Amino acid sequence: MTPGQILLFVVALVAFALALRRGVPTAQRALRETGQTIVRVLPLLVVALPMAAFLAELIPPDAAAGWLGPESGLVGIVIASVAGGFIPGGPFVSFPLVLTFIKAGAGGAQMVALITGWAILGFHRVIAWEWPVLGGRFVAIRLAASFALPILAGVLAQLLLPWFPHALIRP
Amino acid sequence: MPGFLRRQSNLLIIAAIGLAAGAAVWRLHGPEGVMRALGVAAGVFLGVLPAMLAGLLLAGSLKQLIPAGALAKWMGAESGWRGLGVATLAGMAMPGGPMAAFPLVLVLAQAGADRGALIAFIVAWALNGFQRVLVWEVPLLGADFAILRFLCGLPLGLIAGALARRIPIAWTPPGSGNTA
Repeated sequence: MTPGQILLFVVALVAFALALRRGVPTAQRALRETGQTIVRVLPLLVVALPMAAFLAELIPPDAAAGWLGPESGLVGIVIASVAGGFIPGGPFVSFPLVLTFIKAGAGGAQMVALITGWAILGFHRVIAWEWPVLGGRFVAIRLAASFALPILAGVLAQLLLPWFPHALIRP
Repeated sequence: MPGFLRRQSNLLIIAAIGLAAGAAVWRLHGPEGVMRALGVAAGVFLGVLPAMLAGLLLAGSLKQLIPAGALAKWMGAESGWRGLGVATLAGMAMPGGPMAAFPLVLVLAQAGADRGALIAFIVAWALNGFQRVLVWEVPLLGADFAILRFLCGLPLGLIAGALARRIPIAWTPPGSGNTA
């Protein structure tokens, strides 16, 4: 188990202990709630994870750093925003990928758009987690409210970049 | 049982996309590619299962602990920009992956938080979660880039939340039953 998982377990057990302190019926309700959510989410997870893994196989690992260079401007920011949405997996996939792109000459604003697209749009996570837990209508509302934000983040980064001359240099 | 049918339709759609993507992998990479992907999926499943159980227990316990009235006041439909601000801060402070965050969002929704606050929470968690920034982004990409990226992401949760309140799609949280 990772430290993050251990922390999550400790926090969960503390919360459950607090529920137990409110009385046994409260704790029983908490457990019943937990069980119901497991029953709802688990079948979806079993179907969604292979699907996400298949999509990951289909995405080329070295998708043109040239399209995402500093001179690519707004077009590069838009490409990066959309491409970010299709990067599967957690931060252990996306941040090393961004590092590879930066070393291959990608622009700062484009990389901000890519990370923002991955975090906000993250279709892989939407399909594997958000849709099963919250439902298709919620996903539609959230994506309608946020699909343009990665582009906005990239444009903001372009404006702020002069104040961060060391942004693309490894520490 | 419309809720039951809706859940099954989600399952069917996900399964259909999975089968199509699996067929494409088979064509491009052969059976080895399919087996490799299934191995990855099994690894992820076993990897996230403990964290997911902990996240669900946390969400289930919090639902009993957090008074719905207080949340409705902080993050309800009447909470305005302050509710979006509270949700953004809570999202950034939320540790853990999607297996913990999305069940918690469901709990907050069932307890009366409005869609704008929920979406501000998700965007802030996904984009600027402190844990992810500190554990992954600063070490891999450097502090300067991480700060630039963090600043550019800061207003996005508020914007998404404010926009979401104006989108005319009806939504009630799954599992809220007749009490909503």
